[in-house]
Order: sequence, then C-alpha cells, then structure tokens
Amino acid sequence: MWKGIVEWLEVRIGLKDFLREQFTEYRVPPDINIFYTLGIVAFFAYIIQAVTGFFLLLYYIPHSEHAFQSVQHIMTEVPYGWLIRLMHVVGSNLMVAVVFLHLISVFIMNSYKKPRELTWVVGGLLLLTTLTFCLSGYLLPWSQLSFWATTIVTNLPTAFPYLGDWLAYLLKGSEQVSGTTLNRFFALHVAFLPPILVTLFGLHLFLVRRIGISRPPFSKNYPPPSSWTQYRHEEYPEGIPFYPSFFIKEMYMVVLYMVIMFFVITFMPTLFLPEEASIPADPYTTPLHIKPEWYFLAPYQMLKLIPNKFLGISIQLVLLFIFLFWPFFDTSDERDIRKRPLLLTVFFLTIGVWIILTIWGKYS
Amino acid sequence: MQRRGFLKLLAAFFTSILSGSFLYSFLRYLAPPSKSSEASKIIVAKAEVAEGQAKEIIINNTPAIVINRPGKGYIVLSRVCTHLGCLVKYEPDRSRLFCPCHAGVYNLDGKVISGPPPKPLPKFPFRVEGENIVIG
Amino acid sequence: MKRILVLLVIFTVTGVASGGFKEKFIEEFVKKPWGAPPSQESVCISCHTSDLMKEEFKEIVRQWRQSWHAKNNISCHDCHGGDPKDEKMAMSEERGFVGVPSYTEVPEFCGKCHAGVLENYYKSGHGMALKNDGTGPNCVICHGSHQIQRATIDIINEKRCSQCHTYERAKIMKQALFSTEKKITDLYDAIERLKKKGIYTEELYKEVFRTEADFRLLFHEVNVSLIKESTDDFLKRLSKIEEKTARLFSELRFRQNFSAFIMLLLAGLGIVIFLISKRGP
Repeated sequence: MWKGIVEWLEVRIGLKDFLREQFTEYRVPPDINIFYTLGIVAFFAYIIQAVTGFFLLLYYIPHSEHAFQSVQHIMTEVPYGWLIRLMHVVGSNLMVAVVFLHLISVFIMNSYKKPRELTWVVGGLLLLTTLTFCLSGYLLPWSQLSFWATTIVTNLPTAFPYLGDWLAYLLKGSEQVSGTTLNRFFALHVAFLPPILVTLFGLHLFLVRRIGISRPPFSKNYPPPSSWTQYRHEEYPEGIPFYPSFFIKEMYMVVLYMVIMFFVITFMPTLFLPEEASIPADPYTTPLHIKPEWYFLAPYQMLKLIPNKFLGISIQLVLLFIFLFWPFFDTSDERDIRKRPLLLTVFFLTIGVWIILTIWGKYS
Repeated sequence: MQRRGFLKLLAAFFTSILSGSFLYSFLRYLAPPSKSSEASKIIVAKAEVAEGQAKEIIINNTPAIVINRPGKGYIVLSRVCTHLGCLVKYEPDRSRLFCPCHAGVYNLDGKVISGPPPKPLPKFPFRVEGENIVIG
Repeated sequence: MKRILVLLVIFTVTGVASGGFKEKFIEEFVKKPWGAPPSQESVCISCHTSDLMKEEFKEIVRQWRQSWHAKNNISCHDCHGGDPKDEKMAMSEERGFVGVPSYTEVPEFCGKCHAGVLENYYKSGHGMALKNDGTGPNCVICHGSHQIQRATIDIINEKRCSQCHTYERAKIMKQALFSTEKKITDLYDAIERLKKKGIYTEELYKEVFRTEADFRLLFHEVNVSLIKESTDDFLKRLSKIEEKTARLFSELRFRQNFSAFIMLLLAGLGIVIFLISKRGP
C-alpha cells in the first residue's frame, strides 16, 4: 500500500529525486553549529501558534461584550481549552524569544553579509510581523491587562506632530480603545497578518536555499572574502548530509522547545497571565501596574526616558531603519566578529542597553 | 546496531503516546459536553402575576423575577445585582428594583437609575402561550 | 549610503525642531491614566490637604485614604454630598452638602447606601434605643467613620461592647457568628488563591458576597436566636460554594499533572533523539 503510493507519486512528480536533492544529498557546512537550528525551531513555533490559534477561533467571540466571557469559557468549561490557550499564550512569548535568539546568532556569525543581505531584510520584516501578531493578539482576551497594555501602545503614534492623533485614531478606529479596536485587531490577527507571514516566510526560505546556507566564519580555513559579481549557489560537497544528521539535531531542538513550553505550562501557568488577565476590561478603572509585554519593555522605557516624545519616536524609527537595513550599513569584509572589536562593542552595548532598559521598564 | 534499533523503538513509543495525548485532548476540545442536559424552561401561569405584581423564580440556578409592569406588559429580569451580586427586591409602590446592599436602583426595564451597579440587569427571553408565560 | 545618512539626519533634525510643539504630550505620556477620561481630583481633597487647613481636618483625608471606602472609590461627596468639581459651591446646601450628621442622624447618613443594614439595625436593640431616647450606639461606635475598614468578627470585643453593657451577651453572639464568619473568610481566601492561579472568580466572589451580605443584614438585628436558627441554612449555602472552589482546585491539580505528563514524555523523546543523533552514521 505505502509502496504503491510512493511509486504512484514517483512516476508523477519524481518524489525520490526531489527527496534526494532536498534531504539526503543536500549538504550543510561541515562546521555547522547548533544555532543553525533556531530558524526551524521558530518555524515550528509558528506552526504551533497557527494550530492552537485555529482551535481557539472555534470558541472565541470577537465582540467586546462577549470576548472576555468566551475566553473564560475556553479556559474553564471547554475540555482541554486551558491546554490550547496556554500553549498559544506561552507559545507566543517563547516564539518571540526564539526569533530573537535566531537574530542574535545570525548577527554574531555575520551571516547577513553579501550575498545574504536580502535574507536579513526579509527576516527583519518577519520579526516585525511577529511583533504585530503579538500586539494584535494581546488585545483579544479583552481583559484589563490586554485593554490597558493596548491603550499604552496605541497611544505611541500620538507623539507625531500633526499626523499623530489621526494615526492613533486610524489604529483604534475610535478615540479610546473600544469594540471597534477589538474587531480591527482581530481582523489583523487572523486574516491580514497570516498571509503576510506565510509570504515572507516563503521568501525567507527561498532565499536561504537559493543562495545556499552560510558557513560559520570562525574556522581557520574560512575562505577570504571574494568579490563575486555573478550569482552562484554556495555548496558544500564535503559537508554533512542534511538528512538525517542535521535534521535530527533540528528535531532535538524542536522537542527541547516544547519541553520548555510545557515546563512553563506545568510550573508557571500564570507567568504570562497575571491577575489583571482574569479581570474583564474596564475603560473606567486604570490598573496600577500595567506594563507592555517584556519584548516591548525596552522601547517603551526608552520612550519614557527621552524628554521629547517626538524625538523619542524618531530615534526609534531611525534605529529600526538601521536594524532593518543593517547589512548595507556594515560594509566591512571581515566576518569573524572576534576580529572586529568595534562591531563586538556595538553588539554587547546594544544587548546590554536592551536588557537594562527591559529591567528598568519592568521595575520602574 | 541493536541499541540503535531500541532507541528508535523508544522514540516511536514516546511519539505515539504524545500524539495520542494531544489527539485525545484536541478531540475532547472539539466535542464539549452538551449543555441542554436539563430542560431549562419555566412556566408561570399568568394568573400568578397580576398587573403590578411579580413572581420570583429560579432559571438555571439564577434567581430571577417575572414582573407584570403596569401598562407595559411582562418582563423577566435576573435578580442578581450587577454590582456585587446581592439580590434585588421588587418595590411595586415605587415601581423599581432595589438592591439592599449598596442602594442600587433599577427601573422595571432593568436599567440602572442610581447607585453603583455598572450594568443593567440581564433579561431573560420569554413568550406568552395562552394562560402561561414560558421562560427560557 | 551617504544619501541615506543625509536623509536620516534631516529626519532627526526636523523631528527635534518640531517636537516641542507636542510638549503637552510629555505630561500626558508619563502621568495620564491611559485612555480613561482624566479623573479630576475632588476639590474636597485638594482643599482639605492644603496647608490652610487645621491639622484635624487634614487628618480626615489621611484616615479616608486608608479606608475600605477609598479602596472602592467612595469619595467625600458620596456620603457628604456637595459638589466635588466646583470649589465655590463645594459645600453649598444647594448642591446637597450635608456636613457632619448629628449622633442620631448617623444611621440615616450611612443608610443612604447601606439600606438593608439600616432596616435591620432599626429592628435591633441598638437601633431601637437610638430611635427612642438617643442612647443606643450608632454605626460609627462600632465601625468608626472616615477610617472605616471591612467589617470582621473582631469588631465584637470586650473593650467596645462593655462600654455600654456586659460582654457576656456579646460573647454569646460572637460564638454564634463564629463558624459562619470563618467559612466566609476561608472562602474569600480560596477565591483569592484561585484568582492568583488565573481563574476568573468574579461570579464566585459575587456568590460569597451575596451570602455574606445576607448574613450581615441579619446580624444587624443583633438577635442571637435568629442567628442560631439561620446558621445551618447559611452554612449549607456556603458549603455549596465551597464545593465549587474545591472542584476548581482539583481541576487545577489535574491540569498540572497532565501537562507534567506531556513534559516528561517530551523530555524522554528529546533524550532519545539526542542519543540517536550522537551515534549517528
């Protein structure tokens, strides 16, 4: 039976050839390291979000009168609703963490350099899409936490002169965060963003495979920079086969990701759902300690520290621009970060400032 | 080689229990227990609630009240105050519903007139069939 | 490359230049309670905390800030009337200002909101004594006024009750209340713990509150035999709620066990895959 199906497919689409090319004969660099698996882990994290998200959609009601109750219904009355919601909630945070780690490892290995500038830019756009996913999803439970965190974030555009208020209004669809905002964010979360994410992801993967996977720049026999002017696919004839050697490492990391997810669900189920998350949204009572999610804390704290708000938001946009187009700013030929003290300093400074701002934002 | 085979078997074992657990919980999620286990219909005879009168009932464990509003017909409201959950009392002479805990006042449509309640009293659907009022 | 940098500089410079125009935003961004209509501070408070006031008047606000009323956003004008938005008319009788009620007016003053308690209080020996010859204790004798706290059974104590009569009867009363009160406090504790664990407890809280309120109303008649008669009934009602909380706790335990089970399976799988990858070809 099984053989019959394989044979049937083989005749029509050349399955064996395809698998050989893409898996067994596809070779990855011999000195590839474990950080190369983070991309696939992130992909897997998205899949979990998509699946659990779909299941949540079966019972969720995107209406300000019913949203909170429907989420509580999922949590308490629908069998195993808690499992699916917690996977979605914990997964969204872990997903951002994995994406950040992926970004950091790519940065340290300077993999964004020629010819992979475009891969970096698309990756950056993927990160922004992910964060928009998080932002829009955060409002949907319609709890005090989600309502007020969203109010803070949607107020940020008002820092722009002239256009600011209009932009904020456009985002919210009303003066304050309201039922209209909920519907907007819901539409973003389930209809607008997914196809964008899938497209960007497809492009990202296409670029990775078309250009060929990069090599870690740390080994002694790393080739000196060459200035090619023509397209060429980077191959590693003496590398290790993708399947099964590298594939099994990826699987191992994916399982590790899930272990962490279930560790959080088992021992810290309220890590991302503090008390305010189980109070329905109330536009007339501002809770005392509302903070944006941890990944937004650093930019949030930075905005609070800069005395002029428009300057603050401008600086952030400039930084975002630099981040997104970083490969075009970093024009050095050297790829080994250990031989680039300046880049190393910039890296540690950025990470350090980010962490300090996050902690500061958390406890201020 | 034997050890490798054993490891593979073990991996298959873990994977199948895992997929089983997920499949089980996801299927249970898709088929929640049906709610209509007990018929939640309540019948009140019209004769029991004369004009201006009311009758206290319990629908699905929620205390409620059927009021025959003078000139405006029947209405079925929850008696649970939306402030902190005390039970409101019908005061026919002042045609209002009054919560003794913090003096919340509702009119006979369930709307908040004064006091701390944040929301109107929930209404229950009903229809009049002959000599009866069927609620639920 | 250079062009981009130039653009960035222009962008930033214009940004800084035009930024001042939104200075108000700084204020709003850092201090404003987000999104909600700006909550105007009551003029009662701003005046009563100012240095123009006598120490004893300032003390009122200080006490109120500690109170259960303050925690529930019950402000001066909710009891004393007047207009908290208009400095000139704040204490005008036209706007319903009441000021300090006399000793015998206090029950009506509090009873504006605590209507049910008022009714039962007047049925009690306490209330009747007050009504008849102005001698009985009014609300503030037991509960205090501005610094009012959530009522507990500890309000009944020898020091307070023996100001007027022997503690013996009060003690019997306290004993009659004890089991019900204990169950109520335990339930509130349980609800608080459930809330911390991410369970939506509002409905449950309301159910306990309703029972507690009924019990408190009844208590204000200060009639021991009435309390004793109805205790069984109240305990039954409370036990029903207790069953619900117990079910929620066991549900939480089940969840933890289930996800721990999945975690262990995953960890096992992870270790096996790791071992396989180590001895790979």
